[in-house]
Amino acid sequence: MKIPGEVQIAAPASGLERAFALINSVAMVISTVALLAAAIILTESVVVRYFLKQTTDWQDEYSVMLLVAATFLSASYVQSMRGHIGIEALEGVLSPRINAVRRRVVDVVSVIFCAFFTWKSWTLTHEAWTDGQTTSSTIGSPLWIPYGTMALGMTLLTLQILLQTTRGPKS
Amino acid sequence: MSVLAIGLLYGGATLIAMFSGLPIAFALGSVAVVFMYFFMPHASLDTVTQNVYEEMASITLLSIPLFILKGAAIGKSRAGADLYSVFHAFMHRVPGGLGIANVFACAIFAAMAGSSPATCSAIGSAGIPEMRRRGYSGGFAAGIIAAGGTLGILLPPSITMILYAVAAEQSLGRLFLAGIFPGLLLVILFAAYAVVQFQRERKTALQAFETSGAQSELLTQHSYTWAQKASLLPRVLPFVLLLTGVMVALYGGYATPSETAGLGGLLALGLVAAIYGAWRLSDFKPILYSTIRESTMLMLIIGMSLLYSYVMSYLHISQSAAQEIVALGLSKWVLLAVILLMVVVLGFFLPPVSIILMTAPILLPPLKAAGFDLIWFGIVMTIVMEMGLIHPPVGLNIFVIRNIAPDIPLRDVIFGVLPFVGLMMLAIITLCFMPQIATWLPVAVMGVGR
Repeated sequence: MKIPGEVQIAAPASGLERAFALINSVAMVISTVALLAAAIILTESVVVRYFLKQTTDWQDEYSVMLLVAATFLSASYVQSMRGHIGIEALEGVLSPRINAVRRRVVDVVSVIFCAFFTWKSWTLTHEAWTDGQTTSSTIGSPLWIPYGTMALGMTLLTLQILLQTTRGPKS
Repeated sequence: MSVLAIGLLYGGATLIAMFSGLPIAFALGSVAVVFMYFFMPHASLDTVTQNVYEEMASITLLSIPLFILKGAAIGKSRAGADLYSVFHAFMHRVPGGLGIANVFACAIFAAMAGSSPATCSAIGSAGIPEMRRRGYSGGFAAGIIAAGGTLGILLPPSITMILYAVAAEQSLGRLFLAGIFPGLLLVILFAAYAVVQFQRERKTALQAFETSGAQSELLTQHSYTWAQKASLLPRVLPFVLLLTGVMVALYGGYATPSETAGLGGLLALGLVAAIYGAWRLSDFKPILYSTIRESTMLMLIIGMSLLYSYVMSYLHISQSAAQEIVALGLSKWVLLAVILLMVVVLGFFLPPVSIILMTAPILLPPLKAAGFDLIWFGIVMTIVMEMGLIHPPVGLNIFVIRNIAPDIPLRDVIFGVLPFVGLMMLAIITLCFMPQIATWLPVAVMGVGR
């Protein structure tokens, strides 16, 4: 713990942080691949419908799943860059000491919310798995897949914020 | 507890959560979950994630990352600078032509990239130094680029409009079409202002020259040969073809909006690779990473905003607020003015995506009851939110400009931008008197039916 208001120098990355950075970059690679795959699938959809006169049924559903995966799996990486924007209007008004406390509270609330969301995502995934839930379309893809990517992504996000919280605010 | 009391609590809690500096997505999510816990059946907490998933799992919403991909690919390439040079070469004879060239380049780039800040930085990083080198005042140059960039959310494909289409349950194709002529109206207004302001600055420079002999670049004439002009074209033509190709695919009935997004994203990556010889993985990495960064941030805000609206509607807050607004019995135009004013105020703090998803359930029913066309209102609301991008205190585009040209004092940037805010208001008033500017094209292309 650092004393709020004190000038703080970022400590060198711990082993845990380096390991987590690695996990984040793997998740990012998966996310970019999912994003590109969705773009390819949707392009394929136009081509087969108009040139090969085939019906397109699975493309939208698979693209949705891929894009949901891309979104949630990269959430932790985005958080590591503090890329989830908030309103920082009070930052300039408050004293450094209060700001440090405010930032800490923000991180703690973020962790609690994300942890709750993670927990409920896993129970949802579990239910979909045990009940064999599928999408309501003709394809009927198993729902545990998109739910699972959401749960995994939220887990990483929660751990990432937790890591940032325990490390304390960087100067 | 009465609906009014819960509503006030909900609003108050949201304000506190937002201003605490919590990331917007988590702020909206936390408030929604806390109110679910206290005011809704406990089972609803068990389905909260399912709720978010089902709201998000729409291919229309999820086309947003793909539109961002297309914008990022074009934005990271030199297309912005190239586009700008072409317009510059062809417009240099017109007084204020350089300013007009910047407005046009912004409009075309905005239509390709669909993002306001991306447009500002792509066109501005070439345009602002060039305009200042040619004697334009810093504020004027900054104003042109900041305002030109806002065209990104009005001209199709616009992310803001995708969300509006989902929130207002309107046809995305129609909304895109409805944005085109109001977008052109703004282009004309901005260009006309560029000419007027140029003449004004030139007159001042001329007076200075006559009294003190002070030289100004504004008084120098520049020229390009036809060969120079022709040599610039091959670099931008492919992008213009991409733009028209995507539009044809969408409106020719070949592709759905989400397919257009996927196709556009792939084509943009391909074009960047072909024209700029960027074939290596390391060339694509920055494009893909910045796409993910922006789209994930946005999609989480969207997902949580949808949850937030769901709770608001379950607790009858939105319905009661909407009824209260209708019961006020305001005249049609007063109602519109009040609502737009509210959007302006919200624009001080929130990105357009949250404004739309959070307020649509409250604002749209009264507007519909008052007889406003919701496609038309989507366009007007978009222009109002564009104003939020360039006026203080948030004014995202102002920050982009500050990044490109840190030596232009903030004061000058703000005063340079204000006339454009005025022009946007003028455009809104024009749209109120002549709603056809927005509404005729969707009807002409897609027929009357809803």
